[in-house]
Amino acid sequence: MNKVIIAFSVAVLVGGCASQGQQVAEVEQRDLFEETQRDAELERAEADKQAQIQQEQEELKRQLEEQQRRQELTDSEEMGMPDEPVIRPLSDNNFGTGDNRDDPWMQLNEPDSLLAKRSIFYDFDRYDIKEEFVPVIEAHANFLLEHPDFKIKIEGNCDDRGSREYNLALGQRRAESVKRAMTLLGVDENQIETVSFGAERPLAFGQDEANWSQNRRSDIVYPDQSL
Amino acid sequence: MRRLTLARMLIVGCFLLFGSIPGHAQLTIDVIGGGASQIPITVLPLKNEQGYEQRISEIVSADLRRSGLFRLGAVGSKRPFPTEVKDVDYPYWRAERAQNLVIGDLRKRSDGRIEVRFRMMDIASRSQALGFSFVVDVSQLRATGHKIADLIYEKLTGDTGVFSTKISYVVKRGETFELQIADADGYNPQVVHRFDEPIISPQWSPEGARVAYVSFERRKAVVYVLNVFDGTRKVLAAFEGSNSAPAWSPDGKRLAVTLTKDGLSQLYLINADGSGLRRITYSQSIDTEPNFSPDGKHLLFTSDRAGSPQIYRMPVDGSSDPRRMTFEGRYNVTPRYSPDGKSFVFIHRNQGRFNVAVQTIATRQLQILTSGRLDQSPTFAPNGKMILYASEIKGRGILAAVSSDGRVKQRITAQAGDIREPAWGPLLNNRQKESQ
Repeated sequence: MNKVIIAFSVAVLVGGCASQGQQVAEVEQRDLFEETQRDAELERAEADKQAQIQQEQEELKRQLEEQQRRQELTDSEEMGMPDEPVIRPLSDNNFGTGDNRDDPWMQLNEPDSLLAKRSIFYDFDRYDIKEEFVPVIEAHANFLLEHPDFKIKIEGNCDDRGSREYNLALGQRRAESVKRAMTLLGVDENQIETVSFGAERPLAFGQDEANWSQNRRSDIVYPDQSL
Repeated sequence: MRRLTLARMLIVGCFLLFGSIPGHAQLTIDVIGGGASQIPITVLPLKNEQGYEQRISEIVSADLRRSGLFRLGAVGSKRPFPTEVKDVDYPYWRAERAQNLVIGDLRKRSDGRIEVRFRMMDIASRSQALGFSFVVDVSQLRATGHKIADLIYEKLTGDTGVFSTKISYVVKRGETFELQIADADGYNPQVVHRFDEPIISPQWSPEGARVAYVSFERRKAVVYVLNVFDGTRKVLAAFEGSNSAPAWSPDGKRLAVTLTKDGLSQLYLINADGSGLRRITYSQSIDTEPNFSPDGKHLLFTSDRAGSPQIYRMPVDGSSDPRRMTFEGRYNVTPRYSPDGKSFVFIHRNQGRFNVAVQTIATRQLQILTSGRLDQSPTFAPNGKMILYASEIKGRGILAAVSSDGRVKQRITAQAGDIREPAWGPLLNNRQKESQ
């Protein structure tokens, strides 16, 4: 059940940031086309219902799989603790296989997993998290929930146009927005440190959008494995 | 009175920095464009100046030419060059279309020091407009040239000369960052801080003895204050989170800084010794880049409280709410008051370009002064006549300067590396006007 709530809170967070302009447009339309609006609302309600059903089914399926896995665990490990809650990432693009589940470093280094993705990218002068990066944040949040002894650093960066000082503040805001998303997902805020490098640590050095877009990012940084 | 005044001159410009590393890169300044009507001036070689590495007449000519406000006349064919008032052949110089003629000489004294004498003659009225004598060490000849250029500039334009001032800036060479200080003409660059982490936002204290700046050497932004005379450095602000955007109050006793210790970037006041921290903005947005008005009563700053970064003004004592100052465009940042407090420069995003703009506070009239693609970090000369800023050519960071009316443009390049984050130093305190 926890997972559903998590999914909704992220959706609200992202929607809230991104769609202010859209909301204004909707208000104006309602005045002009009330009837169309009502039809649309009915349609939307129906769609919502369908989505809910689907979600419930998926949840059920997941719970079943969960039970199955738990069974396998207790079968293979006599010393396993069946009462320990098992928290798994929401995404179907799972970060680990059963084999390395117990080694956090192997999970983190799984090349094709969401956990291998460590950067969130932004539009110019923006700090809201685009929908495509929500699964990445979820994966890391779940990892941190599973490993409360892990601490990460989120480093905010900007392209180097405009003001270096404003970009330093904007980078901080970018890092903070990732931290906030993770704490909303239940991660202890003491596990996350934020820092901004502003425009001072570019990955790409060219002066065009292709380069700038690589520099507008938050990096999720895990401590050095050798530590 | 045609008396030559002996002005005792203390040239602070030597900058004998304790433990400083000599910079490798000399800066090159090119002038592009010029003033509407240039003042004619003829600077003749001073007698005996050829014996020294620093030729004063060349330094004076270069300073005046670089300002864009003067037209340098030919030195004529008459030899030897006049050095005394009685030597000046007025009809000849009038025929040469000279209006202001600079003459003089150098004399070695028994104590090893050099007496530099110069006069500026007004050809039309056949009279001396300026006349000074300086007794200086050989190491001060260059500074003496700047001093003479300042006196000529002031006499002929009515504005204060800034040829004797310093600039600071950051040079990035590979992964190494250097905070450098140089003469306003780019000569004599000194590395005052070098580190393999970024340096940004250098700001001169009002008396010119200290530079506050932000270094990332602790893997996050921390504000330091460097004493440029003895090379000592101390931490001004290293609170939790980011510490940046130092701005000196006009009395040099405190600074405004941006801290994130309480969440988002907000403005704080802090005494120059690091004591007495006090928060002065309370917004749910970014507040940064504070800049004191010359009377010390107001702050300009950048805030995104209205959804995009804009420039606001607030009383330092917090007695009223910040007022928005910029309304054109969706990106206005880095405000800096003009020395007279009547206008401010800032970076204005205009059709995808980032340019230096100036706005009059009373009329809100905005004028875009530059046409680069990625201009940054404008800083006024202490006389308010020029604005130094960071720009780029083919992806390489350079400094550029533009006159406050947009007519004169200069380009300043380092031999190697990216040059950025300029800050024009103040007029030196002991540059009091000598009586004539």
